Amino acid sequence: MAADERKLVTLQHVACCICGGVDGTPVGVGEDFEYHTTPHSFLAVRCPTCDLIYLDPRPTAASLSVIYPDEYHAFAFDEEQFGLVHKVRSRLEARRLLRAGRGLPADAHVLDVGCGDGFHLDLLRKHGPSGWQLHGVDTDARAVAAARQRGLNVEECPVELSALEPGSIDFALCIQTIEHVGDPVAILRAIGNLLKPGGRLYLITDNTGSPDFKITRGRHWGGYHFPRHWNLFNKPSMRKLAAAADLEVEKLSTTTSPVNWTYSIRNTLVDWHAPKWMVNRFSLKAAPALAIFTALDSAFTIIGRGALLRVILRRSK
Amino acid sequence: MSAATPPVAVPPVPVAVPPVIVLGGGIAGLLAAHELGRHGVAAEVYEAGPRIAGMAASHTDADGFSYDVGAHFVTNRFMAALGMDVPCRTLPRYGEVVHLSPKKHPVYPIGLLGVPRFVRSAVWEKVRRPRRDLLLASDRFRHDYGRKLADEVALPLLEAWSGLPADQLSASVIDKIPTGLAQTIWLRIAQRITKRAVMIGYCKEEPSATGVFHVYPEGGVAAICQHVANGLAQPVHVGQAAEKIYTDGERVTGVRIAGRDIETNTVISTLPINRLPQLIEGSDRLDRFRRFQFRGLVLVNLKLTGRELLPDVIVWTPHGFPYFRVTEAPLAMPWIAPDDKTMILCEFGAQPGDDVWAMTDEEAVERCVSTLDPLIPDVRSRLLGASVLRQPLGYPVFALDYEPDRAALAAEGTGIAGLYSVGRNGEFDHILMEDTFWRLRRRIPAIARDHQRCTMTATLIKGDNDEHSTI
Repeated sequence: MAADERKLVTLQHVACCICGGVDGTPVGVGEDFEYHTTPHSFLAVRCPTCDLIYLDPRPTAASLSVIYPDEYHAFAFDEEQFGLVHKVRSRLEARRLLRAGRGLPADAHVLDVGCGDGFHLDLLRKHGPSGWQLHGVDTDARAVAAARQRGLNVEECPVELSALEPGSIDFALCIQTIEHVGDPVAILRAIGNLLKPGGRLYLITDNTGSPDFKITRGRHWGGYHFPRHWNLFNKPSMRKLAAAADLEVEKLSTTTSPVNWTYSIRNTLVDWHAPKWMVNRFSLKAAPALAIFTALDSAFTIIGRGALLRVILRRSK
Repeated sequence: MSAATPPVAVPPVPVAVPPVIVLGGGIAGLLAAHELGRHGVAAEVYEAGPRIAGMAASHTDADGFSYDVGAHFVTNRFMAALGMDVPCRTLPRYGEVVHLSPKKHPVYPIGLLGVPRFVRSAVWEKVRRPRRDLLLASDRFRHDYGRKLADEVALPLLEAWSGLPADQLSASVIDKIPTGLAQTIWLRIAQRITKRAVMIGYCKEEPSATGVFHVYPEGGVAAICQHVANGLAQPVHVGQAAEKIYTDGERVTGVRIAGRDIETNTVISTLPINRLPQLIEGSDRLDRFRRFQFRGLVLVNLKLTGRELLPDVIVWTPHGFPYFRVTEAPLAMPWIAPDDKTMILCEFGAQPGDDVWAMTDEEAVERCVSTLDPLIPDVRSRLLGASVLRQPLGYPVFALDYEPDRAALAAEGTGIAGLYSVGRNGEFDHILMEDTFWRLRRRIPAIARDHQRCTMTATLIKGDNDEHSTI
């Protein structure tokens, strides 16, 4: 997006979504380095009570159409454009999902919250047991249209307003979604309500306990994804979030992703006016950078500090 | 309770927390009200002048030169924290040098290390004298920076903007540069790479970083004030001067503003701390602040042809000039002057009533033009016009005389519960806009809690009394 197409958005002050405190201290300040949708600078603050990192102030809900442009990658992660990366990612993600869903009944109901264009549901359809009933919800009309195009059963609404029967879901997914929403506690409560007693939620989100956050949190950390990631967690704040939503933590670990590393470097280069050929070495289409950072982040995952938090939460019986 | 009252549980009447009264509609007062609002406490801001942001008002003259006091101290971090709703331009550069005759301009502070006699004397001073508590500014400067650097650069500048000899000033005047040497060098490199005025040491409350740099919001500091004012639940009351602050000796009980008494238990004042005691009724605890002094400034702005007339944005002039600092702001903010023209600001330390303060505008301009030659050789032929501003509240003077009282104000506040003195003039401290903001962010939660607690207590006592009276 060209500089002159950037639009000012309305911003609002917010409190910590877990404890309601407004005493956040500044951690990082940055701009929309990836899509250049808006000229604002955004401040990431840390809640001293919860260790949550959140954007304050942040765009209002009315600004979503500005900060999620049509070319946004979650709406457009297709095989044609992303080639090899798409193949590798699909295989890895399918394996992770099926491992997390091990032990589910053959006719399990699976719900993907914030399903985007249906990438994960599609993987389950292709690689999972054929008896699974797959559902999705997403609030973005463009994403929902893309998912429906794939023949998936997707509702266009926030999960709180889903028409699904309460207590009907065996297994819910919330993959890189919770960081985009304004009230993660409400979302998790709504998911908990849809889960059967003992049902599980598999949640993936950026990890602020990772070394790349530590190194680049002042401005360029890929996980900020300014201004679209509103709430960012580490292990302690994730435990607090789960407690606030009345869900039990079954497993809390980290998993490997090269994306934040790649974008931390890309954002630095973009911000420091590096030549385009150099910037392009670091993108979701740049297989060498992704391979290197996958290897690096795998090492950090072994010591529990991978780029993404991998959480399994359970509705108590 | 009378017999007619139905025997049902009456829900407690919601306690309407009365607003905190904020005195002053400048940036500090507006930010205080803004922060209180975030904590759910209402505030009413009273400004004595005819509009908000008095000093900070920006204006552009008929020749296209803009005047915007303090605008270059705004950072992207500060603007992000406020959610500023106007576009901000990034300053391409910002730097300071020291003019040492003949014609040497070491970059502050790193370049001064390139002058061998300064380094020798600084090292010698450290070796010779063990570290100890030094009370005088003169001793402390000589100890920290070496005798040569202190006597040739630091002390003359300190004396010029304080108006007192350095042996009558407190050592606490030394602003510790919040960034270390290695970090300063790294930030300067980042400034080169990013072509942005990376903020180096201009905020004491939050750290410097390569991603924090000087920006200029469209409309300047006045636009910041307007943005904050627009976000307040209540409009600012302008043209309403505070006349009295009532206390019971221990705590604030109310204020009189423009002839009207208002009950409150919390007042946040941004008035100069030496004027605050005049308003206090029922306590003499603030009288010790009466003798605090601010050093005035006479600011002479020369409009000149050309650009890049100075080696950097700020040139400190410890010797041989009647002013202590010369600034070419268009180097940092090219848009504030027409192309191929520039503005040179000369700052004189002065006191209302002294000879410098009493100069006519013509005399002040002539004094600049006749002495700027070593810095700008052909200054007279470049001159297009000039303006002179007299600012009585330039800098707080850290006189040794009242140092214990100053330290007490910084550590314990005003001494009256519920009365808070904030901002540069209220805190009597060398702080800039962003410092004021972060300090308020840290202080307001406790102020808000105290205000709510006191209001609840007052309401309970009042409620008890009401009930007794009906029995």
